[in-house]
Amino acid sequence: MNKLIFILAEGFKNVWRHKSSAVSSVFSIYLTLIVSGSLLIVSQNTNKLIEYLRDKYKIEVFFKDSVTEKRVEELTADFKSINGVNSITIISKKDAERIFKSQFGDDILSILGYNPLPISCVINLKKDWPSRIDIKPIISNLRKYREVDEINHQGKLISRIENYYESFLEIMVVIVSITLIIAVFIISNTVKLTILSKKELIRSLQLIGATKSFVKGPFIIEGVVHGLLATVLSFYTIIGVLNFSKYFIYDLTRFDIYYDQVFIFQVLLSLSLLVGFIGSNRAISRFLK
Amino acid sequence: MINIDNVSYSYKKGGGVSNINLTIQDGEFVFLIGPTGSGKTTILKLLYMDLFPKAGKITIDKFDSQSIKKRKIPYLRRRVGVIFQHYHLLEDRNLFENIALPLHVLGYDKEEVVELVNESIDEIGLSGKESHYPHELSGGEQQRACIARALIKDPEIILADEPTGNLDPVASFELIKLLEQISKEGTSILMASHNYNLIKSRGHRIVEMQNGSVRQ
Repeated sequence: MNKLIFILAEGFKNVWRHKSSAVSSVFSIYLTLIVSGSLLIVSQNTNKLIEYLRDKYKIEVFFKDSVTEKRVEELTADFKSINGVNSITIISKKDAERIFKSQFGDDILSILGYNPLPISCVINLKKDWPSRIDIKPIISNLRKYREVDEINHQGKLISRIENYYESFLEIMVVIVSITLIIAVFIISNTVKLTILSKKELIRSLQLIGATKSFVKGPFIIEGVVHGLLATVLSFYTIIGVLNFSKYFIYDLTRFDIYYDQVFIFQVLLSLSLLVGFIGSNRAISRFLK
Repeated sequence: MINIDNVSYSYKKGGGVSNINLTIQDGEFVFLIGPTGSGKTTILKLLYMDLFPKAGKITIDKFDSQSIKKRKIPYLRRRVGVIFQHYHLLEDRNLFENIALPLHVLGYDKEEVVELVNESIDEIGLSGKESHYPHELSGGEQQRACIARALIKDPEIILADEPTGNLDPVASFELIKLLEQISKEGTSILMASHNYNLIKSRGHRIVEMQNGSVRQ
């Protein structure tokens, strides 16, 4: 316990002792977090957009004239068990007649003398898919039913939107990974410079019987404290910029930027602790080899 | 007990020691003398396992150089106090913090650290200078601080590498007397020196080194 207290105290004191390297280390983590935080907000808002679009995805199924309403009810109950289907609305012949009238202004019964519009149903898809929505299996499942006459869907549009979304997610992962790797290298090199200037301390600690973890501890704590400082700075920068610009962006685009402050803070904190820990551990471990 | 059994070590750039045999009993005070480059420092480094023999074996109590695991070396070093010619005090820490460092490594609590360090500073005659940084102390004071740092963890062995190298004759004499006093309390001491005049009349065993070998 006493050792742990000493390691923690040394780590915090080192932040003050190595002020100049602390500034460059905090600044590099800060920049990484600004980039990552911005990407996170873009990603959250893209998610919101894709969920909105997915909400609009529909498949229209038209049944043959011979199919009764009772049979349609049975069939739609079956359709609900197809993977990816969220809800189904049945459009009876009467509903179809009403829709026709509301869309074209004419009563089809008075024009033709009978109602030729078939019973149909509208299938709404689930919007919270873990990856891209693929409607092909749903369509081929529906086609298996001989009662189904025609299926209308926005397959190509869905596919295009999902392709864009998939590419976007891939690019995001690459950018965040590259940013994090660069940050780890910068922090690692900053800590390495600090360590080189602390050679004497490390040597003394080793000679008086300090274990590897005892020598490493204060440097890792120092890296983590740099991460914490960078988290607070980057969080307030991002939130400040968002608060300042969200009304401006809404006026321009009618798009209300969505962001969850707690989630942003949690992500920034996790990233900074990870980068601070890996960066300092990497530097000191290489030195102690 | 320290046992050096037929130990050889060579540096890539040349030099080192060959076929060294030496035994030091508990509480014994041994001088290791010889000119610069004769292998004195190499022997000391081999003893605190900063270097490992290319041949032969070093045994210090239950630790031996052939079987010791890297992670166990700190535990050996906790039983050994090392004193250097160039003090190796930490410039960014004051006298108190420098001497306290080994106690923190051993996990002493704050009250014990304060009590033991103050006692130690008193013993080496530097009371009132606790908050002085190394550059504010004289060479003799720094060397005493270095000894206090080595002694505070109550080691069983002291390895001193030319500890009088930067001291005037009076300070050197006082340092030898201090080490003798420590030795009388049961600590084994191996002190490397090239100043024969300083040690010849002290009545301790003298091991002479020349060109990496013990001169018989």
